[in-house]
Amino acid sequence: MSPRLRVALLALSGLALLPGAAAVIAGLPPFGATIAQYGERINAIAPDARHVANMVSAINFDLRGLDTLGEEFMLLAAITGTVVLLRGHRGEGNSGRAMRRAGRALIPRSEAVVLACRIAGPLTAVFGLYVVVHATVTPGGGFQGGVILASATLLIYLGEGYAGWRDAVRSHWLDALEGGGALLFALCGLGPMLMGAAFMQNVLPLGTFRDLFSGGLMLIENLGVALAVTGGFTQLFLEFMEETRATDEPEEPGEESA
Amino acid sequence: MTVILPLLFLLAAGSGTAVVLIRDPARQIFAIAVNGLVLAILFDALQAPDVALSELAVGSAAVPLLFLVALMAVRNQPPEEKS
Repeated sequence: MSPRLRVALLALSGLALLPGAAAVIAGLPPFGATIAQYGERINAIAPDARHVANMVSAINFDLRGLDTLGEEFMLLAAITGTVVLLRGHRGEGNSGRAMRRAGRALIPRSEAVVLACRIAGPLTAVFGLYVVVHATVTPGGGFQGGVILASATLLIYLGEGYAGWRDAVRSHWLDALEGGGALLFALCGLGPMLMGAAFMQNVLPLGTFRDLFSGGLMLIENLGVALAVTGGFTQLFLEFMEETRATDEPEEPGEESA
Repeated sequence: MTVILPLLFLLAAGSGTAVVLIRDPARQIFAIAVNGLVLAILFDALQAPDVALSELAVGSAAVPLLFLVALMAVRNQPPEEKS
């Protein structure tokens, strides 16, 4: 397919989509003026029906939980694809020790960086856990908290260096975290069916409004998402770094000029 | 509030343009991080704290870090040997 044909195709599809896009944009409510009807309805229903203070979580994990389940497996598929792509010929085997590309300078870390990371790392992890478990009360949730947890593991890398990071973070554990989180979410959908309820129906006791234990099944689904996102993102970081460092053999001279 | 929103829009547009105009990849990564930070503040100002938290974690921490690592992988030679 030549570039010219590609541009022609792009222009054609753009022209075909333009009327629809224009109609949707014209139909949007004015900027910042009103709360949409759907939002009003959710605000009215969710605190009574689900005992949940964070409406975004109520939508993501309960009212439209099926969509989030789909997103969850999209994330799983994306990370699996990336890992397969990055591992390449290295296969599943991981080197026990951290490897360093020949000829790259070893930059020493200043003690201030190490100290800052040792203090900030655990604090970041605690904050991530806080965001995860308070999903039904305050803004945040499994995804946001999971990413914060994953960046807490990255602070270990920043402070302790690659070798220390590899010692602390095991690839197989990350696989288990990610798959297990997705499985937990799926089981949250299938579990209620065993009790004769609908898929992902909120069968657990709903708890008290504005309490940590509110929302019933949402809390467990959140935990599943957090596990999957933490494992997935850390796995992603690990595979990227592994790819940069794993080449033990001398490189071809042709690659040096890049 | 009336001042904050236009200011944030301007900042978002400015930092977004900077990402495109900066040619050095290493600086570009930091420009992306700054743009993510500005967007996170903007989302928060528009009362979308959930989205702001996601943007903060992904847009200004995870993505720039991945880019940095990828850049480290591409750059084989020590910096002083570059032109």
